[in-house]
Amino acid sequence: MAAPLDLIGRSGTGPRQAADWSRRQVILTDLRSVRGRAYPRVIGLMREPSWVLFEILLPFLATSAFVFVYRALDAPQEYVGFVVLGGALTAFWLNVIWMMANQLYWEKSQGNLELYFAAPMHFMSILFGMALGGMVMSSTRAATVLVIAGAVYGVAFSVDQWALLLGVFVLPLGALYGLGMVLASLFLVWGREAWHMGQALTEPVYFVSGLNFPVAHLGFLGALSVAFIPLATGLDAMRQLAFADAAFPAGTPPPGVEVLILAAMTVVSIVAARGMLIAMERRARRDGRLSVRWQ
Amino acid sequence: MSALAPAPPAAALFDAARTEGRGIADTLRTFAVATRLGWQLEANWTDPFLFFIYSVAKPVSSALILVVMLEVIGGPAGRAFRPFVVVGSALWSFVVSGIAGLAWSILEDRERYRVLKYVVISPSDFLTVLIGRGVARLGVGLAGVVITLVVGVVALGVPFDPGVVDWPVLLVVSVMGLASIVGLGLLMAGIVIQTRQESWSYPEAFAGALFLVTGAVFPLALLPAPVQALGLLTPLTWWIAGVREALFPGGPGSVGGEGSLYASVFGHANPGSAEIIGALLASGVVVTLAAVAVFRRSDRRARQAGLYDQTSGS
Amino acid sequence: MGFAVPADLTAETLAAPLDGAEMPPLAIEVRGIRRVYAAKPAPVVALDGVDLDVAPGELFGLLGPNGAGKTTLIKILTTLLLPSSGSAQVFGFDVVRDTKKIRRIMNMVAGGEQSGYGILTVREQLWMFTQFYGLTRGEGWRRVDELIEAVGLAEQRVQRVSTLSTGQRQKMNLARGLLNDPWILFLDEPTLGLDVSAARSLRELIVAWQHAVPGRTILLTTHYMAEADELCDRIAIVDRGRILAIGSPAELKKRVQRESIFRIELDKLDGGAPTLAHLPGVVSASEAANIDAADQRQVVVMNLVLEDDGVLGQVVGALAETGSQILGLRKSEPTLEDVFVELVGRGFAESDVDATEGTG
Repeated sequence: MAAPLDLIGRSGTGPRQAADWSRRQVILTDLRSVRGRAYPRVIGLMREPSWVLFEILLPFLATSAFVFVYRALDAPQEYVGFVVLGGALTAFWLNVIWMMANQLYWEKSQGNLELYFAAPMHFMSILFGMALGGMVMSSTRAATVLVIAGAVYGVAFSVDQWALLLGVFVLPLGALYGLGMVLASLFLVWGREAWHMGQALTEPVYFVSGLNFPVAHLGFLGALSVAFIPLATGLDAMRQLAFADAAFPAGTPPPGVEVLILAAMTVVSIVAARGMLIAMERRARRDGRLSVRWQ
Repeated sequence: MSALAPAPPAAALFDAARTEGRGIADTLRTFAVATRLGWQLEANWTDPFLFFIYSVAKPVSSALILVVMLEVIGGPAGRAFRPFVVVGSALWSFVVSGIAGLAWSILEDRERYRVLKYVVISPSDFLTVLIGRGVARLGVGLAGVVITLVVGVVALGVPFDPGVVDWPVLLVVSVMGLASIVGLGLLMAGIVIQTRQESWSYPEAFAGALFLVTGAVFPLALLPAPVQALGLLTPLTWWIAGVREALFPGGPGSVGGEGSLYASVFGHANPGSAEIIGALLASGVVVTLAAVAVFRRSDRRARQAGLYDQTSGS
Repeated sequence: MGFAVPADLTAETLAAPLDGAEMPPLAIEVRGIRRVYAAKPAPVVALDGVDLDVAPGELFGLLGPNGAGKTTLIKILTTLLLPSSGSAQVFGFDVVRDTKKIRRIMNMVAGGEQSGYGILTVREQLWMFTQFYGLTRGEGWRRVDELIEAVGLAEQRVQRVSTLSTGQRQKMNLARGLLNDPWILFLDEPTLGLDVSAARSLRELIVAWQHAVPGRTILLTTHYMAEADELCDRIAIVDRGRILAIGSPAELKKRVQRESIFRIELDKLDGGAPTLAHLPGVVSASEAANIDAADQRQVVVMNLVLEDDGVLGQVVGALAETGSQILGLRKSEPTLEDVFVELVGRGFAESDVDATEGTG
């Protein structure tokens, strides 16, 4: 049997040396923590298969309702494509709200939160692990909606710039999950209010992000959304790239500019998340909120 | 009890009448207590502004999404359908509140507050407790409906004339619709008792699927016939149609119309109020009875499998 | 069960493990710690100027009733809570500023813990935590399997966490607390809610773990006096946010025991209790019982209070002269609750009621 960790009882090694980790050790611990926290998410998907119905098939039907609204209005076919794409991306937004932002509140009530803070990894690793684990479900949902809806409703994609399309898919994820980390740290302090805030951040965000229609139709509000909401920016860019032949209303930047906006959002949200998590942890430690169950 | 006083004989302590209960009085009291508890939990806000946002922004945003969709495609011609989508969207927020309300009570009490097992073993009827707990969310949902309709009339140009509203029909379909929504909520609650993973999103997903088949935001006639048939068997379809018919008599309906399954089966284009009420009653009774049966079955299975005090999560 | 000693530890290292190691003099150093919670209707002072030193390798106990401040102190030392004032260090690292360093060398286990993901198996749950401490995937599984064997959960290794009994869950929690082989382990009422057998098993595990490698320090909080008495090298008695006394169990009990109390069983005693009461050095003698033993013998039980243990010899001699045969002899010692009552003027049970009423 191999020896356990080389931390105790070695000549010349004491607790003060043991506490002094190299940068490599810190990074590896954070990466392994990401893997560790993603693990229960992935296992959960395999052991509770009802999510296939509730997280994929039923939401597909909800998206279909908006397709039929456009059909009732004899809308151009690309609008069906817009709705389908929007419906696919809601998966990620819901993952951010429910599987990240609100997660800490649930973790606190279960008693896991204080164990995470008592461990040596950076807390962002935990959030990132949650995000990765949740992304498995979200990606499956998004892909299913796109494929099935594309087949059933005859959505035709016309893509000219695949690399850019990939970029505007990946970048919003970074920005969205960075935003999720920011919300998670806020929700840690807000407590029970957080759940209601999560509820309030669904339909209103869908509206201002143009989930079912090009956000340019919202005029100035749409422009603001593109500037500040990763979901809006990413969706608008993806629509412009995935339906390159469609006629888009004026009012939003071209995809190349939106990629830059998304890159900036990603950096800002992750930096903000880091700062906020540190500040919120300190506040939670000061107020004794890391292990209070109901607030 | 004083530590010094001698204990009375054991036989004198046991009151056999306590095991009998007090029938309807107990049920009413249970319902009242559960309703009050649900309201205290739901309205436990430290910031009323957030409460306002939550109860108003959600349903209003849903309506705005549809209104913009209409405007984008239909332009001025599409405005004739605004009442159609605004009413459907407003009512749908109520549906979601009702379906989610009971299911979320199960999840909260099991996963968060860990009191579900104590509720189950109490002499109160579990079904009554759940329905009482769900009333608060229904109340919030109702507020959302009213506010959305008001916003629709005031800001979105929905033409509303109180003089033409068929108030008796509105009252009847509202009461029957409420019962159906509670029934569907019970069905959802029965399902989440069995799911071992935290399934907070399931009620909304279920409601989202119903959104497709109930004519909430587009006429059923657009759907394939088998799907229309499913819609016609759903009480929510008739409830929404009934509310539309009561508020905007003679306006665009969701059930009938040219080429609809309803027209081909019943021989005329649109159902009248009496037909709507009759269909709502029939479908509502069937769904509610089925939901109660599913719930009872789920309850039995949960006791067999020991699910009431197991938490899960990932 | 047993805890593996690291393979490359030599006999010399085990004998003198700290040679050459930069070992601070204290594992825990607390100076003037205060912690006030903002609560309604009035702020709650959970800790009111606590000073404490724990040496490396000690199993130190915090003993006190509910609401005494034990958990608050542990949360401060485990970096989950900031003190309102005062300072605390773990192996020389400040609990406010050096949180990351402390978290690398410590772990904690609380009683009644319901943490974890019900959908995972015991093995998976523990492996997840190994990742948080930086073990590689393979090291993690190995470590988990070692600890599962050591704590006696081998049969439950692939059972879901949600199906564990209370005792099994607490063993799993303990295994989680040992995953990173901490220099210092904080145990907050670890046997809370466990039955006698499960509690005993857990205590044995704790002691076995500490003794496996010298230098391991444990801070244990409990309100079970017998547990503190059995396990701890030194104990601090805590009440209402203050430390009332610190010492080994024997030292603390000596504070209240001014006389030696014995219970002696005899086959007969001619003349009864006065026979012994008149002996020099005997403070009092009283007959506790006069019973028929199972084999039809008569047994006389006497409670003797002597000025000190040395008087016992005279008593035994006097009994021999009267022809009495000693069937059994046991010394009665004061309990830690006696110490608490001596210090505070009320018992643990009354303190629990006060704590409940005060926070209710």
